[in-house]
Amino acid sequence: MGLLTQLVRGLVRGADRVSPFTSKRGPRSHNKGRGAKKLGVLTRNKKFLLVKEMVPEFVVPDLTGFKLRPYVSYRAAEGSEPPVTAKQLFDELVAPRIEKDVKDGTFDPNNLEKYGFEPTQEGKLFQLFPKNYVR
Amino acid sequence: MRLSALLSAARLRLPPGYRHGMWPPDSMAARLRNPPGQRRRKVFVEPVAKDDWKVFKGDTVQVLAGKDAGKQGLVTQVVQARNWVVVEGLNTHYRYVSRTAKYSGTYIASEAPLLLSQICLVDPEDRKPTEVEWRYTEEGERVRVSLRSGRILPVPPQPRQDGIVPEQWIGEWDGSGGWGDVAGDTGAECCPLARTDGPKDTSEEDALAKTYRPSLKTFEEEIMDAMGIVETRRAKKSYWY
Repeated sequence: MGLLTQLVRGLVRGADRVSPFTSKRGPRSHNKGRGAKKLGVLTRNKKFLLVKEMVPEFVVPDLTGFKLRPYVSYRAAEGSEPPVTAKQLFDELVAPRIEKDVKDGTFDPNNLEKYGFEPTQEGKLFQLFPKNYVR
Repeated sequence: MRLSALLSAARLRLPPGYRHGMWPPDSMAARLRNPPGQRRRKVFVEPVAKDDWKVFKGDTVQVLAGKDAGKQGLVTQVVQARNWVVVEGLNTHYRYVSRTAKYSGTYIASEAPLLLSQICLVDPEDRKPTEVEWRYTEEGERVRVSLRSGRILPVPPQPRQDGIVPEQWIGEWDGSGGWGDVAGDTGAECCPLARTDGPKDTSEEDALAKTYRPSLKTFEEEIMDAMGIVETRRAKKSYWY
């Protein structure tokens, strides 16, 4: 090894101080978690009570006959469609119904709930604002 | 592992005195000829900026000097680090291939690389050599313009880095059909399995099929309706700041 390489190696010798000290490093007695949330409550007798509502449960519909897979063939052309906006949803779903009702003369501006209008998000399981679901 | 080590592992980092050859840096030949720790005499190349590079694979160029001076050919390979351009069939020397103890081997012509100064780009309509410059069109697109006639030289479509040609991709392959001529093989052509969809690939028709039905329900609400899940409990009101 040349002189310059040896000098440079001397400058970078030593333990790794920069990377985080995770549970994968250190001696066997070093016990550290990785930030998992507690799924219950610790009672005064030091017994852990699991709360079933806190345990995540995956709800997956039946995927038999589902054609989409993780990767896409190279033959498919690149590109994607722009995301659907609220205006597009309104134009496709709600506007035709309102137009029909206006033509029939049954349009009632006080009863917009039948077109899907939600005056308040209280009481809903999946509220749109503030958004309380992941997707 | 150090973050810098992880980032550099994704991209191949070459040592400062690396001598480039005609082969890609991650091939066996390159690793044989450039073992780690090797230091060779430096090869001096005329510095050309990366965005000033004018010759690409698939271009027609004219050779100005050497054995095949005055001939035009297609560029098959470009090595920017050494200002090299390999033109198909020109500037060739002959070498033996598949020479064994019993068989003397066959002579094949192999092209030697040409420097940028020995090469000249060719006007597409004239088919005469011209000087070329990078300029911007009215729309703002960067194009190569021939200085003599002002015509635009379109950059030929560059092959993908992973070597896959989407036109040659077979897609679904049921295993039938011949494996083709073994003698004339170049990479993926010899093995049809290398260019078919795997078990985790969506086929082209399924990927491009439009099955979205717009609705005012969220994704979760639609799944709950489809599976018949009824949830009457509501989360307790909580506050965060």
